[in-house]
Amino acid sequence: MALWKGLAAAGIALPMIVGAAHAQTNDPKTTLVVAVPSDPVSLEPGTNKAEPVGSEIILNVFDTLIAWKAPDFKEIEARLATSWSVSADGKEFTFKLRDGVKFQDGTPFDAAAVKFSLERTKATNPYVKATFDLIKDIAVVSPSEVKITLSAAYPAFLSILAQPQSAIVSPTAVQKYGDKFAANPVGTGPFVFKSAQADTNVVLEANPSYFRGAPKLSKIVYRVIPDASTRRLELENGGVDVVQQQGQLSSIAAEDIAALKSNKSVKILESSSQIIRQLEFNNNKKDGPIADVRVRKAIASAIDYDGLLQGVFAGTAERVYGPLTSNSWAFDPKMKDLAPKYDPAAAKKLLAEAGVKPESLDLKLYSFQGPLWGAVATFVQANLADIGIKATIQQTEFPAYRTLQTAGQFDIALDGRQPWYNDPDAHITIGYLSSLANTAMTFRMPEDKALDDLILKAQQTSDFEARKKLYFEVQQELMKRVPGAYLFSPKLIVFARANVEGLVINSAPPLNEYWSVYKK
Amino acid sequence: MASFLLRRLIALIPVMCIVLVIVFSLVRIIPGDPAVTLLGPGATEAQISALRAQLDLDKPVVLQFLSYTFGLLQGDFGVSLKSGQPVAHEILTRLPATIELSVLAVIVAVIFGIPIGVLSATRPNSLFDHITRIVSLLGVSMPAFLLALILQLIFGTWLGLLPVSGRMSSFITADAVTGFAVLDGLLTGNLAAAGSALLHLILPTAVLAAFLAATLGRFVRNTMLDVMTEDFIRTARAKGLPQRDVILKHGLRNSLLPAVTVIGLKFAEMLGGAILTETIFAWPGIGRFMFEAIKNRDYPVIQGTTLVFALMFVLTSIIVDLIYGLLDPRIRKKVA
Repeated sequence: MALWKGLAAAGIALPMIVGAAHAQTNDPKTTLVVAVPSDPVSLEPGTNKAEPVGSEIILNVFDTLIAWKAPDFKEIEARLATSWSVSADGKEFTFKLRDGVKFQDGTPFDAAAVKFSLERTKATNPYVKATFDLIKDIAVVSPSEVKITLSAAYPAFLSILAQPQSAIVSPTAVQKYGDKFAANPVGTGPFVFKSAQADTNVVLEANPSYFRGAPKLSKIVYRVIPDASTRRLELENGGVDVVQQQGQLSSIAAEDIAALKSNKSVKILESSSQIIRQLEFNNNKKDGPIADVRVRKAIASAIDYDGLLQGVFAGTAERVYGPLTSNSWAFDPKMKDLAPKYDPAAAKKLLAEAGVKPESLDLKLYSFQGPLWGAVATFVQANLADIGIKATIQQTEFPAYRTLQTAGQFDIALDGRQPWYNDPDAHITIGYLSSLANTAMTFRMPEDKALDDLILKAQQTSDFEARKKLYFEVQQELMKRVPGAYLFSPKLIVFARANVEGLVINSAPPLNEYWSVYKK
Repeated sequence: MASFLLRRLIALIPVMCIVLVIVFSLVRIIPGDPAVTLLGPGATEAQISALRAQLDLDKPVVLQFLSYTFGLLQGDFGVSLKSGQPVAHEILTRLPATIELSVLAVIVAVIFGIPIGVLSATRPNSLFDHITRIVSLLGVSMPAFLLALILQLIFGTWLGLLPVSGRMSSFITADAVTGFAVLDGLLTGNLAAAGSALLHLILPTAVLAAFLAATLGRFVRNTMLDVMTEDFIRTARAKGLPQRDVILKHGLRNSLLPAVTVIGLKFAEMLGGAILTETIFAWPGIGRFMFEAIKNRDYPVIQGTTLVFALMFVLTSIIVDLIYGLLDPRIRKKVA
């Protein structure tokens, strides 16, 4: 009897609870729900390792001195700085700072806070150690002026200062929270950190006294949804407002993108990225067929680049012609002519000239894991088969893959690079400087003093036009050596509900600011 | 009884030690460096070695093992390489979500599975029996991700009745007290939060419970069919006991023993995290946490979660043994 009474009570209570569940406590009109695949790794500049989720949250909670200007991100604009100047030798950077700005905890922002923040990141963040070690001195000229001196000229330093690792933190909050600052980040940004629940969400609230004006949203909820098909369902059902692609190949599958294009309640924002994916040669190998530039050229001519973009990516990726993407300010337009064209007959001829019988080649084609990399590898494999080269695909888990790569135990491999700051230096120096050949996933370039000197000169020349010319030269030199076949550049794709307005996608790195976003 | 418990608990120590040594060496044998995975493809050697030094990964393995074991003895599970948070804290924040889901799934599975098994066994080869056997075969053989997707599509997208993922609506702010979302909602008087948490539980519970209920149904049916042909059943009938008592008091009670083992094992497995279910439903549980940790080579987290799972398995099996005693007076006497 008691059981029946209990059941009856539950029968009455359940609809009430369900009803209550729909009584929302946040205003959905001004709350933006963003789906991300995983928890942020670090929410503060002192430990951030350019991991996308944490980096993006930092850019919304903190400010940098300067930032790349939307919508095309080719010019730098002032943020916490009002103006800046660079000395003739390219080593001294002087910033005039904005007056009257306060951190979210009420601490006034000044030159001492800039010095404190940058010195702190230099001391605590191994990810930026190589670049921050260039900082020789940070001098507080006055409360509203700061001078940073580098030990060597490094024009890309301005771009580094626009990165989340260079964001300015509240010194009082750092002292107050100590080790726990990452769990209580305090900046000057448009949103205030509210809470983070492991594997669940991160909640930000509007900062009404933000110096550029209060944001239009009242809240941002970053929801952690690890599964791509669940992210898609949530977007279609309206459970999330924004799903980011974040330069990864796995966020939402290409066939899902096509399906979402026909959904009227969803809009798709696309933007070119600076990510490059390539078929890489082991350029450090002194023997074997790959060491012959004619064989490398033959393989590069065997690939049907446009077919790959159409067949595998259905328009979600763009052509890359050389070592830099076409949207980089340093991209040399000549690359479009110099880039290898799909020509299997020419490829076979090149192999014959090199005295290589294609059927004698049995290559292992290394690739990252995941269905999209698998599809790219299969496509390349088929192209190679067309000119008679046999390739076996080896999809490898990332940590093991990296060990293989840095040890040089491969002939050809699929690889890619996403620059973590907006400067050609991020692709060229790490990718092609011969002294770095064994230290990262690079093109493993052989020793070549002329090329190395050129790369370093381009890295260190302060005059913008002169630097651009040097990078043109670098690109032309690299194309002669055929270090790889540049396959494609995935577009940055953000899916949003149709009522989300004001979102501008940043191309390098792909981190979005939500200050200007609102819901219709 | 007390000495039985004590003996079982003492036996725990060598088991945990063996698990500790195995997992500590295994994670270091699999190729890949945590610093490399944390920093991603573009990282230079300088960045990697700086991080390795920061994480103490450059120390000899034996020293790492000694300092880890020493920490363990003081209840310190180490610090997650990825988040920098203490592992014990990370596990404790995720455990309630997994327990909430597993306990509910077991209850639902028992409520459906056992009666179905009993009814099928008492009416073998009837229409009901055939239907439940087909449905339970489906339940046992359908992969969790497929069932999850079907339920998400039907109840989330088409009918719009239930949320397809997460533990609570993004538009509700709730305070955590115990970490159990429904309970916290009730404790803090936040009915909206409790209701939302309850709604979010339905689909993942259904997916987890479906498999167990189907297994249980088939299991109970088969053992019941065996038991019902035993002599003591005939005796009970001959004594003139009503059919209900014969089935429930004599038949079911004797068929339940193996079922309890199945429930115990499956429950321990669920506590160890239903990785697929937790991933598809974006459920912030322990299985997903461990899976991510393996991908990231987050050694302390892999070690910590494995130890916790091992502990849960052993504890569950002790509880199963205790329940055996409750159900079967013969075992109780033997132990005493």
